[in-house]
Amino acid sequence: MVKIKVHELRTKSKQDLLVQLKDLKSELALLRVAKVTGGAPNKLSKIKVVRLSIARVLTVISQTQKAKLREAYKNKKYMPLDLHPKKTRAIRRRLTKHQLSLKTEKQKKKEAYFPMRKYAVRA
Amino acid sequence: MAPPTAKGKDAKSKAAKAAKAVKNPAPKIRRRRVRTSVTFHRPKTLKQARAPKYPRLSAPNREKLDHYKVLKYPLTTESAMKKIEDNNTLVFIVDIRADKKKIKNAVKMMYDIQTKKVNTLIRPDGLKKAYVRLTADIDALDVANKIGII
Repeated sequence: MVKIKVHELRTKSKQDLLVQLKDLKSELALLRVAKVTGGAPNKLSKIKVVRLSIARVLTVISQTQKAKLREAYKNKKYMPLDLHPKKTRAIRRRLTKHQLSLKTEKQKKKEAYFPMRKYAVRA
Repeated sequence: MAPPTAKGKDAKSKAAKAAKAVKNPAPKIRRRRVRTSVTFHRPKTLKQARAPKYPRLSAPNREKLDHYKVLKYPLTTESAMKKIEDNNTLVFIVDIRADKKKIKNAVKMMYDIQTKKVNTLIRPDGLKKAYVRLTADIDALDVANKIGII
């Protein structure tokens, strides 16, 4: 069987990928029947190859789909929740960098009029 | 000059009346609401249909339990063989989350055969077994040969 290469898969269209996926899945069904009816070892070893190829095709499909969706929502105001940055729950609830940097007028004035002075002492 | 002055007068008087009404509003006559029932029912309010500004899920998830996943493999035990010959049925191990309707559709899609009925049971080792009885015009033995279970 031709070894499936991911960089070749990425050049294909979604329709082609779905057709290839169908073929792989039907091949896997045949191999599983062979496993039950005591098939040849070359068939049995092929099961793993086909399973992983199916995984590769599905990965490419979902990766390209996600990338296209991110492109579509790039400069919109509202974005679907699964396109938001995931990080961790706690990190998402933290104050943003801008929010941390905010100061009151009073504090700003204090810092302007009474900054921390640096002195040098002559030896 | 009668019409212009008359018109002018009307407009002025109207304006004067309106100004007066705004300054001294007429006393509001409060009408007592007549309650004909002892129970208070929640008043019906406006129900708006959903019009989301953005879909919560960017794309709907793909169907995880498709035809290929439903039928795992056919059984080739002696009792299964007996079923093929005597009762015109095929025996499959199916995904445990599959129901009879899904099994019927899966068999139709994968092997182009019509089923009369599907009986299922869950084996003690956790797998679901499906007895798929085929219609009288299809021979189970032929189908079994075609699939590869002999």
